[in-house]
Amino acid sequence: MKIYYKATYTYKIFRMFQAEFASFVSTLGNIALFGLDFLRGLKSFPTTFREIMAQSSRFGVSSLPITLSIVGMTSIIIAMQIAGEMVKQGAGNYVGMLVAILMVREEGVIMAGFAIISMIGSSLASEIATMKVTEQIDAIRVLKVNPVHYLFTPRIIAGTLMMPLVVVVASVFGVLGGAVASNLASGLTYKAYFDSVWFGLNMHDLNVCILKSLSFGFVITLISCSCGMEAKDGAKGVGIATTKAVVWSFVAIVILDLIFAAMFFY
Amino acid sequence: MGIEVKNLVKSFDKKVILDDISFKVDDGKILSIIGFSGSGKSTVLKLISGLLEKDSGEINTSGGDIAMVFQYSALFDSLNVFDNISFALQERKDLRGKYTRAELEKIVAEKLELVGLSGIEDKFPSELSGGMQKRVSFARAIVTEPKIILYDEPTAGLDPISSTLIEDYIVRLKNETNAASIVVTHQMSTINRTADSVLMLYNGHAVFEGSPEDLCREETPYTKQFVNASLEGPMKMN
Repeated sequence: MKIYYKATYTYKIFRMFQAEFASFVSTLGNIALFGLDFLRGLKSFPTTFREIMAQSSRFGVSSLPITLSIVGMTSIIIAMQIAGEMVKQGAGNYVGMLVAILMVREEGVIMAGFAIISMIGSSLASEIATMKVTEQIDAIRVLKVNPVHYLFTPRIIAGTLMMPLVVVVASVFGVLGGAVASNLASGLTYKAYFDSVWFGLNMHDLNVCILKSLSFGFVITLISCSCGMEAKDGAKGVGIATTKAVVWSFVAIVILDLIFAAMFFY
Repeated sequence: MGIEVKNLVKSFDKKVILDDISFKVDDGKILSIIGFSGSGKSTVLKLISGLLEKDSGEINTSGGDIAMVFQYSALFDSLNVFDNISFALQERKDLRGKYTRAELEKIVAEKLELVGLSGIEDKFPSELSGGMQKRVSFARAIVTEPKIILYDEPTAGLDPISSTLIEDYIVRLKNETNAASIVVTHQMSTINRTADSVLMLYNGHAVFEGSPEDLCREETPYTKQFVNASLEGPMKMN
């Protein structure tokens, strides 16, 4: 009996992986190209202060409540888990330091990143994707305006500049939340907690935190806008572009986080 | 000179959409491109406007700006009518900062008057009817005084009276700007009321070229089927 190889599951699975790989390479290439186009456009600064402020407001103000909630909850959970045990073991003086280092080096920025991706990244991607499938991007092109310069510039600048602000506020909120939780969970005094915080934190941690949040802000907005620009085929395409933006941004910031950890703390 | 297209070829994924298409539109004239859905009509407009790259052939235009009116208007829904119409003047690299706010307001008011919609500068696209959106997109298209205007199914989805109004504005804009225009349409009323000449596409080929009168008069199988909206004939829907 002759087996037609194209009908086999092995072949179909192979073709599926092949298509996924091609899509991965294509998206990566597009993000790189859009990124280069954005950087080239910076020379002529194709946006206005007003537009950057509008995007900053969307980025900072809209995302702050959810970011504070997530980071605050995380720090409270961590403090509740470790404070009682550490105080029992006579290591109560290290609780504040541990929570603060965790917040500033990792949790604050990564949790803020996740919150921003969910709130702002998805919104940017769906906004630009909708413009793409309703021919608004084509209209911008026909009017001889570069859509990457026009749409990406204020969003990426706002995202890159607002991310550190959001992260710093969220981290401070997280450290304060940790203080309250430690006090309630183990009776650790606020003085002991904050003495430990000041002892444990240093400028290096803060500098890396700012640098990391700047890069997260840039990467999240670039990926979200780029995935939006790749959208096609109507409402379904908008959904696919939004999902892609969220997934790619999540993976990208985790990889970036790993690179930062290896570069600055290894 | 207007627009001159010679031996234009375009394929998508190895499927030939346009095969050796040639035509010419002089300044102040309107060519209507007709044919089945998927016959490549809109592709011709996207190639001329530079939204797509051709595979081979020549597209020569008389220079100056090329404007395009999209099928569903494609107005920027986050901008009001004023910002939509003045978009190119405010955002285009070579025009940015060239006009004062007062000058922009004057230009936008003039263009809105031309399409019969004075005083709606502050409205957003979602507050306008389909016909009004289309006319605002006309105003946006002509704001840079283009030499070529491309219309992609300008009367699609409009009621007959709005369609007639739009058709009148297409002719009016042609007269005001002396631009060479191409109107992609399915509707006989749009052809009859606006076109100086007609090009029919089918399966990537030009199967008819002539005046609107010839389209109705000529008894070729293609024109007969199109004019009578018949299912019987050489053109088959995929």
